[in-house]
Amino acid sequence: MADTLLKLSHLHKDFAVNRSLLQGHRKRFVSAVSDVSFTIERGQTMGLVGESGSGKSTIGRCIIRLINPTSGTIDFDGHDVASLKGRDLFNFRREAQIVFQDPQASLNPRMTIGEVVSEPLVIHRTGTKAERIAAVKGLLETVGLNPEHINRYPHEFSGGQRQRIGIARALALKPKLIVCDEPVSALDVSIQAQVLNLLDSLQAELGLTYLFIAHDLGVVQHISDTVAVMYLGTIVETAPVNLLYSAPRHPYTQSLLSAIPVPDPKVQRTRSRIILRGEVPSPIDPPSGCRFSTRCPVAQARCSQERPDLHEIEPGHFCACHFPSPTTP
Amino acid sequence: MDGKMTDREDGGMGGRAAETVKGAPAVRADGAPTDPADAAGTAGTADLLKVENLKMYFDTPDGLVKAVDGVSFTLNLGETLGVVGESGSGKSVTAMSIMGLVPMPPGKIHGGNVLFKGQSLITISEKDFQKIRGNNIAMIFQDPLSSLNPVYRVGKQVGEGLTIHKGYKKKQAFARAIELLDLVGIPNAAERARDYPHQFSGGMRQRAMIAMALACDPEILIADEPTTALDVTIQAQILELMQSLQKRTGSAIIMITHDLGVVADMADRILVMYAGRPVEYGTTDEIFYQPLHPYTWGLMRSIPKRTAGDKEPLTPIKGNPPSLINLPAGCAFSPRCPYAQPRCHEEGPVLVKLAGAHASACHFSDDPAFLENSPLHDDEDADTVAPGAVAGMAAPEGADTRRGHSDG
Ligand SMILES: Nc1ncnc2c1ncn2[C@@H]1O[C@H](COP(=O)(O)OP(=O)(O)O)[C@@H](O)[C@H]1O
Ligand SMILES: Nc1ncnc2c1ncn2[C@@H]1O[C@H](COP(=O)(O)OP(=O)(O)O)[C@@H](O)[C@H]1O
Ligand code: SF4
Ligand SMILES: [Mg+2]
Ligand SMILES: [Mg+2]
Repeated sequence: MADTLLKLSHLHKDFAVNRSLLQGHRKRFVSAVSDVSFTIERGQTMGLVGESGSGKSTIGRCIIRLINPTSGTIDFDGHDVASLKGRDLFNFRREAQIVFQDPQASLNPRMTIGEVVSEPLVIHRTGTKAERIAAVKGLLETVGLNPEHINRYPHEFSGGQRQRIGIARALALKPKLIVCDEPVSALDVSIQAQVLNLLDSLQAELGLTYLFIAHDLGVVQHISDTVAVMYLGTIVETAPVNLLYSAPRHPYTQSLLSAIPVPDPKVQRTRSRIILRGEVPSPIDPPSGCRFSTRCPVAQARCSQERPDLHEIEPGHFCACHFPSPTTP
Repeated sequence: MDGKMTDREDGGMGGRAAETVKGAPAVRADGAPTDPADAAGTAGTADLLKVENLKMYFDTPDGLVKAVDGVSFTLNLGETLGVVGESGSGKSVTAMSIMGLVPMPPGKIHGGNVLFKGQSLITISEKDFQKIRGNNIAMIFQDPLSSLNPVYRVGKQVGEGLTIHKGYKKKQAFARAIELLDLVGIPNAAERARDYPHQFSGGMRQRAMIAMALACDPEILIADEPTTALDVTIQAQILELMQSLQKRTGSAIIMITHDLGVVADMADRILVMYAGRPVEYGTTDEIFYQPLHPYTWGLMRSIPKRTAGDKEPLTPIKGNPPSLINLPAGCAFSPRCPYAQPRCHEEGPVLVKLAGAHASACHFSDDPAFLENSPLHDDEDADTVAPGAVAGMAAPEGADTRRGHSDG
């Protein structure tokens, strides 16, 4: 039976932008996330893919309430957390944590790794000092670092090790959900594999739920149970991972998958690349109707007039397109 | 700054998306790699580029950094060499050494040679090198801002090589720059040529830099992670562009990347580097399907793949790359190599040719029993779905598909 941990409904996030004087004083908005809905089952991983600027991090930051959504609900374990404030918000922070892409930038260089990892425990007044030190040593061990290095500084560690430090910190408060925002994008493939294995085994041991944000479709395919594809603030397609990769129905997903070179020369030589023309339009004045319509190879007149809903086209497979490609037999 | 957000032109451009990358052929004639024999057969002369045991070290306060320590390869017209390896393995320094762009000091050539059509680029005078750089050999970088000057119009910069090397007048060069910008798929090239680099999005700057590199029809194009900072759909446009230009002009490409997908797509031959040294060299098919070196195996096994159905743990390479100041004794890979023997920690293996030009720097690459450890012998599951390898996926009607199906 489905056991939903997180359910987003009609999430919107606009950012106000100040245009220069030349362009007038009218207040304008970046529509960074527009009408996004999805669910993540407890203990599962949802992969969120899309090009830079498509709104992935904004969704992640809304969920852990680093920023306030403009509208919509975020149902977390049965409670709407979209508009939590004060004490309730403080308490919610134990439940959902984040791991960032750049371990270098997200770790304070003047704090020892022991301080970095124990900070959330201090903020949430968890345990005595001695208990916290024991907890931190346990966490370092859990993520594959030497607990004796507790007094070292981040610069003494390699990129992959720093990412482990970030993961240990995220685990400190025993959260239910971890938003992983491009956690391996800055790492070399061999180190990336180490961190992915760690995330996999932590999930198995601790029953964690992940929202895994990445632009590397191979990584997402490896780690995810379900995958959602974003384009310009909207989810265009979401499905169980194997279905999405083997039978994508949305024209954007199809071109995205076709664009990644496969590390297998014989396969690569037989593939067709669907080249999208131009670049992603600005989210300040997104195209009317379907946001992909200006670049879509199969767009019709209706596409620029009417926004397609994300609807279920086969069990578990949702697509936001007026003309989804037919199922491959 | 997020160029995509602030650049209002982009929004408009989306609407004019119908323009195609001009000049790109409809179909790549044949996906098969260039046969090295063909390439060699046509030229009775010296190799286009021959790098021989090149060593570039840096004198730093911490000690001597052996950034490039004995790299050799040859490159002929029409060929693409892929150079792969983890960050810090010496890929960029190799490229910069060929281009004569390494600051010396702290850099110092500790041996070896770079021969362009038989002429040494190591002993050449800077004055003579300037006639070759940007003219016969051009380079594109990961960060286009490193080669675009913010205070000059893009068109002027793209055409600059023509005034320097080919005797163009300023006006002619600007006109040609517009053609080149058009060629690399910049919409409204005539107008955009008057823009400054900051008015371009990341993808457009990358294209402008390619246009600049191509201005003088170089025989060799060195591309150092040209698409690493770009999104995959823009990467696809750029790779397509490089391939079609290579087909038209017959230039040779050195493609430096850490992305094994990109080399699988682009390269005829591959050089695998580890800690400043070449560890394996071979044709693309040899490297992917008969890899000989445990480091190459490790790279292959680290790529996230997935068997339809369930998650399989990846097999990472343990540990981290070594410091280039204190290289491990013996084989530099030995502390991380799962198959290391006592001999490996004492004696450094040399790069040995094993079959044709396929070479590996491992003591055991000629031992059939040892080669059983290769990922080739991993449990192959026919159902493995490579990332994005969408079985039988048809391009939607009207899609701009530029790659034909070659069935063998
Ligand atoms: N604080 C902010 N103010 C204004 N615009 C923002 C802000 N944060 C993000 N954006 C914009 O929102 C869009 C989505 O950004 P983001 O969520 O970071 O995308 P992704 O993570 O997919 O790359 C982009 O156009 C970005 O420029
Ligand atoms: N100017 C320099 N001074 C000192 N060391 C350098 C310099 N340039 C590069 N290096 C060192 O040379 C090594 C190889 O670097 P590089 O060629 O950039 O690696 P890659 O491109 O494979 O990531 C690195 O250890 C780097 O720190
Ligand atoms: S709705 Fe129309 S424009 Fe949007 S993806 Fe589908 S076909 Fe293309
Ligand atoms: Mg992001
Ligand atoms: Mg480099």
